[in-house]
Amino acid sequence: MRKYLTLARMQARSVLAYRLNFVLSLFALMFQLFAMLAIWGVMLGSGRNLNGFDWGHMRAYLLVGFVCGALVSQGADFRMAGRIQDGMVAVDLTKPVDYQRARFAEVVGGAWTELATALLVCAGVLLLSGPVPWPGVPDLALFALSLVAVLPLKFLIVYMSGLVCFYTQNYLGVHWARLIIVSLFAGALVPLSFFPHWLQYLAAVLPFASMSATPALIFVGQLHGGKALALIAVQFVWVVALWLLARLIWRHAITRVTIHGG
Amino acid sequence: MSIIEAHGLTKVFRRPVKREGLGGSVAHLFTRRYSDHVAVDGIDLIVEEGEAVAYVGPNGAGKSTTIKLLTGILVPTAGEIHVGGVVPHRERNANARQIGVLFGQRTQLWWDLPVRDSLGLLRDLYDISDADYRARLAQFDDILELGELMPIVARKLSLGQRMRADLAAALLHRPRVVYLDEPTIGLDISVKDRVRAFLRELCADGTTLMLTTHDLGDIEDVCQRIVIIDKGRKIFDGTIAEVKDGFARQRQLHVDFASPVDPASLAALLPEAEIEAGIDVPAQGPHRDFTLRFDRFRLTAGEVMTALLSVGEVADFRLDEPAIEDVVRRVYAGDLRLAAEASR
Repeated sequence: MRKYLTLARMQARSVLAYRLNFVLSLFALMFQLFAMLAIWGVMLGSGRNLNGFDWGHMRAYLLVGFVCGALVSQGADFRMAGRIQDGMVAVDLTKPVDYQRARFAEVVGGAWTELATALLVCAGVLLLSGPVPWPGVPDLALFALSLVAVLPLKFLIVYMSGLVCFYTQNYLGVHWARLIIVSLFAGALVPLSFFPHWLQYLAAVLPFASMSATPALIFVGQLHGGKALALIAVQFVWVVALWLLARLIWRHAITRVTIHGG
Repeated sequence: MSIIEAHGLTKVFRRPVKREGLGGSVAHLFTRRYSDHVAVDGIDLIVEEGEAVAYVGPNGAGKSTTIKLLTGILVPTAGEIHVGGVVPHRERNANARQIGVLFGQRTQLWWDLPVRDSLGLLRDLYDISDADYRARLAQFDDILELGELMPIVARKLSLGQRMRADLAAALLHRPRVVYLDEPTIGLDISVKDRVRAFLRELCADGTTLMLTTHDLGDIEDVCQRIVIIDKGRKIFDGTIAEVKDGFARQRQLHVDFASPVDPASLAALLPEAEIEAGIDVPAQGPHRDFTLRFDRFRLTAGEVMTALLSVGEVADFRLDEPAIEDVVRRVYAGDLRLAAEASR
């Protein structure tokens, strides 16, 4: 356990070496947030209410989505993909650590900058656009629990897409495909209740809603008590299932390792 | 059981075959064709504890692939491997604890952290006690002058500095088996010497060493045993002395006479030697410079000198000893088939 803590601590320091890169990549997410705020601002202006969302709730929903989007966005997958493609993975494979746990430790270590910056942006938005409705203490506790599950879930999706590099030598396409699928089915841009029914069913059986919609809906008060707990349970079931699935993929991927150039 | 045991070790890579041009690339999308490339072809290798083995061969011979199989990075297509009783690619963690690996072209330091932090991280990864860690660092500082590198961020190290730090990183946990893939690549002479001295010391302490290199100085300075492979197959396995006695027998003597000498008279006296005109002289007729090549088991240098002195006054001479380098160079060039020669 100590070695994974050390890996996390190291990554927490390493991310600071690329401050500028970090801030720039967050800009992209921020523009997306501002664009969505502008669109919903027009649609929900003058006290309108759509599918149970008024302007205040929608801002809260989008901000939670933004925080979830910022988590594990700092190129953990690109680091992994790069190391697989240029053969540095050879070095990782000679260390006495479990590859998946080690990568997770690094993501946890790097998460603090992502979280801190995302919260800063949220504070800025709240300052400019006024306060949002705030949930009561029990819902806030549920929200926190749900947010905790987002980190391993996002890690696993990112990790598995990184593993694809053992099969294909180009990562960029995988990355973009993942970003689009995740932000659509996670309901980070448009709440899932706005989707046509068949798409809602599809989203319900995919793990992506657990990565953003669940905590966001708890925060805005559309999920309470037992229903919220059930969906949080679903989140953790996904964590376990995807963790095992990632292990299976890894076991196969590792037989495919070819290291070029010495 | 020996520390490294490999039997019939084979690794086949599948490579996509694409026909030429855009048409070929498009065709590849629909009908995939592959060709098999056998990188390592049925290699048997037994290494005893404390041995230092040089593993050499021309580019693309399968050296690095063998190392990656032995370290558990690659899964073999066929054959068996045991390192310290462990199957490396199955028990990756157990294997990782007992081995140290240095890939000369890849660093294992954390790129964005000072060397000190990288080593500290490795201490935690390998569960090294603080006392042991300090003792080890002191030792490295003596030989590799590590102290001055400790506060520097890895990406700012020069190649020589990086290699020293990487060596320390590979050996921090006192591994039983150390694989070094091109450990002195790009190093200057003084650092090279220091690294080699360090490797000798390591070996004397009972560490098993396996070294792939193109630098034949590494081999002669560090190893007792040499394994030569070509096209994935082992073509020689024996001591350095055996290679030299068996194949590096040719000495070269460069001689400079005070006055021109007829090559024919020299040839008459030394029928066993190959006589060649020196540089910048006509190939025919009398001249002063000669190069003589002779088998050191058939002619002694004394015999050659006696003959030379009998035909004229020798102004100057120089004797080149055969080096392992010559053998390997001839093997690489395909001039020498070791397996065939050895069976003669």
